[in-house]
Formats: sequence, structure tokens, C-alpha cells
Amino acid sequence: MSDINHKSIIKIGKYKDLSIKGIDNELVSGLYRFMLLLRMCQEELIKEYHPADEIRCPVHFCVGQEAMPAALSFLISKNDFLFSHHRSHGYFLAKGGSLKSLFAELYGRQTGANAGKAGSQEISIPSVKFYSGAIVAGMLAIAVGAGLGIQLKGKTEVAVAVFGDAAADEGAFWEAISYAKLRELPVLFICENNSYSTYSHQLKRQPADNIHARVAAFGLETRALFGNDVITNYLTLKEAFSHLHKGKGPFFIEAYTYRFRGHVGPEDDDYIGYRPKSELEFWKNNCPILLLEEQMVALGLLTAQRKKEIVNEIENEIVEAFKFAKNSPFPAEPNWEKLNWAQESPVADKLLHDGPQSEIFDQNQKDTIPQPY
Amino acid sequence: MENNKRRLTYAEAINEGLHQAMELSQDVIVLGQLVDYKPGIFGTTKGLADRFGKNRVFDFPVAENIMTSAAMGASLVGIRPVIVHQRLDFMMYSLDAIVNWLSLWHFKSNKESRLPVTIRAIVGKGWGQAAQHSKSLHAWFAHLPGLKVAIPSTAYDAKGLLLESIFGENPTVIIENRSLFSQADFVPQLPYRVRFGKAEVRRKGKDLTIVAISSMVPVSLRVAQMLAAESIDAEVIDIRTLSPLDEATICDSVSKTKRLVVADPAWQSFGAAGEIIARVSMKIGNQMKSNPIRICLPDSHTPMSYVLEEIYYGNEETMLKEIRMMFKE
Repeated sequence: MSDINHKSIIKIGKYKDLSIKGIDNELVSGLYRFMLLLRMCQEELIKEYHPADEIRCPVHFCVGQEAMPAALSFLISKNDFLFSHHRSHGYFLAKGGSLKSLFAELYGRQTGANAGKAGSQEISIPSVKFYSGAIVAGMLAIAVGAGLGIQLKGKTEVAVAVFGDAAADEGAFWEAISYAKLRELPVLFICENNSYSTYSHQLKRQPADNIHARVAAFGLETRALFGNDVITNYLTLKEAFSHLHKGKGPFFIEAYTYRFRGHVGPEDDDYIGYRPKSELEFWKNNCPILLLEEQMVALGLLTAQRKKEIVNEIENEIVEAFKFAKNSPFPAEPNWEKLNWAQESPVADKLLHDGPQSEIFDQNQKDTIPQPY
Repeated sequence: MENNKRRLTYAEAINEGLHQAMELSQDVIVLGQLVDYKPGIFGTTKGLADRFGKNRVFDFPVAENIMTSAAMGASLVGIRPVIVHQRLDFMMYSLDAIVNWLSLWHFKSNKESRLPVTIRAIVGKGWGQAAQHSKSLHAWFAHLPGLKVAIPSTAYDAKGLLLESIFGENPTVIIENRSLFSQADFVPQLPYRVRFGKAEVRRKGKDLTIVAISSMVPVSLRVAQMLAAESIDAEVIDIRTLSPLDEATICDSVSKTKRLVVADPAWQSFGAAGEIIARVSMKIGNQMKSNPIRICLPDSHTPMSYVLEEIYYGNEETMLKEIRMMFKE
């Protein structure tokens, strides 16, 4: 499937190419568990969102898009940078974020990942180099900068940027692609193309739904894939990391996928009528968890009993995370100045001198006239 | 020993500051359009590429947004980037990076993450720079929490504030007025710091406080000299940094002189002058003998024709006229 797009994918009907043959069993189980946890925790958050109205921030659920963060979580290392779009929960977990600190952040509590300053769409864990944000292309431009820093420092890490198809609407996207290639920076671009920017279809915004082909014109190594196949995602990412670790320049993956839920919040937005029912049905029928589960069952890697056990474990984890979030204190009133500006300058203190005092300035000097330039 | 007579121009002082910063730390890089060519951005980046290599001093595509984002990302890896914009106007393409990311990064990480990025922005003046080469938008940047804004008027401050920005932990915008680039001042050789939020009283006086910004500092000092001949003793305060603003030094001066003039080389409405007057009025407005005034540019874009330029920018005489009115009230 080298040159695919949403239109060609939907013609498949049922995807039959997912194969776990030759893949380590532990890895397969791990991918499955990651996706299931991500799915279940979001479904529970959706249920909890309104009755109590305790989660009061825009939350972009990634139900249906679990396969890419799951695959990435098994390849990205602690020292790699990960910059994510606002549909961030999967990537937050992929970089080692805990369910408790995620939930507490959504509940606006002091124990949240950012002590209630960021919420779902801007959550970060600086200690493990995970960052996210809600302005669609800004983050991948910063990822290119991290790639530049890595290159300048002669390090071996990789900067990974995850974004949606709408990022390619922005000029910043093309600046980032161009510059990453110009300097052959160690940046992995992952586009989760889910066709819609809120309600607006990609073909209303772009002349074609082949971002990877346009990016390839810049000279980047690109791959396009059916993003709900977690094994293909994993193998492609593995290839990408190896390419990057060899210092062969930026790598771009376009993963066609779909969100099952509304753009934002717990409610469905399908009453607006922006996407055909048959499209949603196709993707639900090709749910990333279902596709993997079918193969695992067929090869005897998963029994009904084992699934029940996994579900129970995850349920307990989720219950604990809710408990933790709801029982955590709210943040106290901050010192706004200290919150917005760093107060110390340890490097300046070490390297710079105070004084000597300035002298009286000679005020009777002529202005500089720039001349033509 | 420091030689107190050591004088450098504003451009030379910036250049010396950059050389010393790059010497002091391998982490300092300089990026911007044409920074690695011989002229060196009006002399300010001269010799850097030859001395420190094109890996640390490099030309950048005409893409200011990615340039700023790249600097931010690199700073997460421990780099201390200095971005140079030959004209502040070109920097407008980077507003998303500055407003939506750079200024709020520290805040939204709950103080865990820092982006020590220094952005130098040069403001053109004269010789027909006109509307797209002359804007001084320091008030815009000072409006944003999380950014520091320096606006040095002397060579001494240009170097000290630059070094303080590069080795500080906050993102900083430094606004440099091109009309100051050839003006010389005492500049110590040491890599010294000028701290943010500390205004400088450039002339002591008791009848009037002139708070001056950037290129209006030398103008205000000349006006003060002329006022002295009319027996008006003006105090001239150079704010040096807009964010944070040294409110205390300004208020102390106005409590003494009871009169306030703010001279700001920017548009009048919604600007720095209005902010300074508001802060002083809210604290000690009841002590003032006359209404404060602000000497600013007209609320108009900059004209090209040199005849119109002269009217637009005004001079010592136009400033004097307004101040005299103040004493007639």
C-alpha cells in the first residue's frame, strides 16, 4: 500500500493485511494492552465528563486513533523528544506519563502533570521531553528546532512530531519540512490523517489528500499507511528510527486513520452531518483494537478468559486514577509573576560581572542614517 | 583595570557582546538572515562566523516563523540561540511562535521548562525606511506575560542587556533602534550584565521628569539641556527595559518633580507611554502639578518622503513646545 489515501482505503471494506506472524508475542500483547487501556480510559472519561462536570477543559478524545501512539510507545526512548497535537492522551502515555497525573490534570488539580495549568490539549512532561499544544502546526516547527539542537550538540536522540492533516494547511508546516530537509535534521514527522479538521474535510482545505506525496517532493523519505494496523505502524516506525539513527535525515509517515468520537468533548457531533455514516461504520469495523484482537484470537494468543483479566486490571487502574484525581487538592492561588517568568539566572550569575558603572552618555551625537540599506 | 575612556559604538558593543557570549559558552548560537556575511547586520555580527564557524553562526531561510520555532526547540536541548531580525517588521511572521508558544511555555509547564531564546529586532528610522521598515512594536511584546523586553539606548546597555538576555533563563526581545547604531558610549571590556527592571537616571533634575525610551533618550537629554536655559531643571530617566518596568524609580522621580513627560518613539495610542502614565497616575496622580503628557509618533504609518519623515518623527523643538505648555497651565 505505497500510494494510498482515504478514498482507496475505504474501498477495502474489511482490512485483512494485519499480520502478527514473526512478531514477538510479548510485543503483540503489549500493543494490545496499550490500545485497550487508552480506549477504556477515554470511554470512562467520556462517561464522567458531564454527570459531575468536574472535568472543565476542552478534551480531544482519540478513540479510534490508538494504533499510532501504541506503536510509538514501544520504540521511542526516554531521551527522544515527543511533540504532540492536542489529541494528546495516547502520546502522553506513550512517553511514560501516568494515568493518575493525566486524570488529575484534566480535573485541574495540583497533582496533575502540570498542576492544572495546561489541561488536556497542552499537557506536558518536561522531564521526559513530552510536550503538546493546540495550535496545529506550531509544535512540529518546534520539533524541527529540537532536531537542530540535537544535531548541533552532536547527540543521537530523535525529535518526533505528531500532528493531524490540518497542520499541512499551515505555512509553518511547509517551512518546517523544508528546513528539516535542508539541514537533514533527525526529525520524525507523523501525520495522523483523520480527514477532518473539526468538521471540515481535508479536500475542502487542500487540493489532494496525499500529504506524503507532496512532502516527498522536498526530498524526505516518506511512507503512507493504513494507520489502524498497529503492526504496520510499528514496523514502519522501526524503519524510521533506524533511518534517523543512521543520520540519514528526516522521515515522514502519513497514517490514515479516523476518530470515532466528536472533534472535542464527550458528545458526538455527527448530528451536524459533516461525515457520512458509512465512513464511520467502515472505520469502526476496522477498529485498530479489533483488527489486532482478531489475529491474536486466531493464533491462540488471546482467550476470552485472558481478555477478561486484562480488562479487569485496566478497570482497576482507571478506578484508581479517578480516585487519585478527585481526592487531590486544587492548586492554591499562585504568584503570577513567578509562574510566568523564571526568577533565577544561574548561568548569568556564573558567567557575567556586575558593573563597572556606566558613565554620562554624550547626548550630542548624530543619529545614524541608514542609507539605502 | 578598566579604562574608563574606552568607547564603542552601539553596533560595536553588540558585536563585542556576541563575541564574548560565544566565547563564554559553546551553547550560544546566532541565527538570522545574512548574519554570516561580511557586513554582519550593520556590524553587529561581524567576524562571528569566521571565528566560531558556520555551525554556530548561520544564515537562515526567509522563514521567520520556523526560525523562531527552531530556536525554541534547540533551546530545549540546551542551546542558547540569538535570533537577529534586520528589521522588526520581518519578525511579524513569527508572531505565532512568540505569542502562542514562546511566551507561555514556562507558564504552562508549571515552571518546569525554560526557553532562553534571545530575539534581537532592529527598528529602522530615516532615509525612507517607510511603513514596512520602521515599526517599533515594543509595547506589543511587553503586553505578553512570560517575555522580557529590553530597549537599550546606549552602547553600554546594548551590550550588558544582550549578555544578560543570552545567559538568563527567560525568552527576551531586544528592540534596537537603528538611529543609535553609530552612537558611542563608555563600554567596559568585561562581559558585564545590565539587569532587567532597573531604570537609569541619565540626568538629575527637580522640576520635571522625562521618562525616555530608546532613541528618545538622547533627544530628551538635549531637550533637558535646552530647558535648563529656560530655568527648567528636567530629570531624564531611561527605562532600559520595558518588561519588567522599573516603576519605583519613575514614581520616586515624579514624587519629587510633580510633573511627567513620557517620550516614546512609537505610536501614541495603546502604547508604552500610556502604560507608564497610567502606572504613575494610579500611584501618585494626586501629587502631580499638571497633567502628564506623552511625546510619541502620530497614530499613522511611517511616510517615505524625507520631508514628511521630519514632520512625522518631530524633533527637540516640537518636544520643547509641548513641555513649555505644561508649565503655562
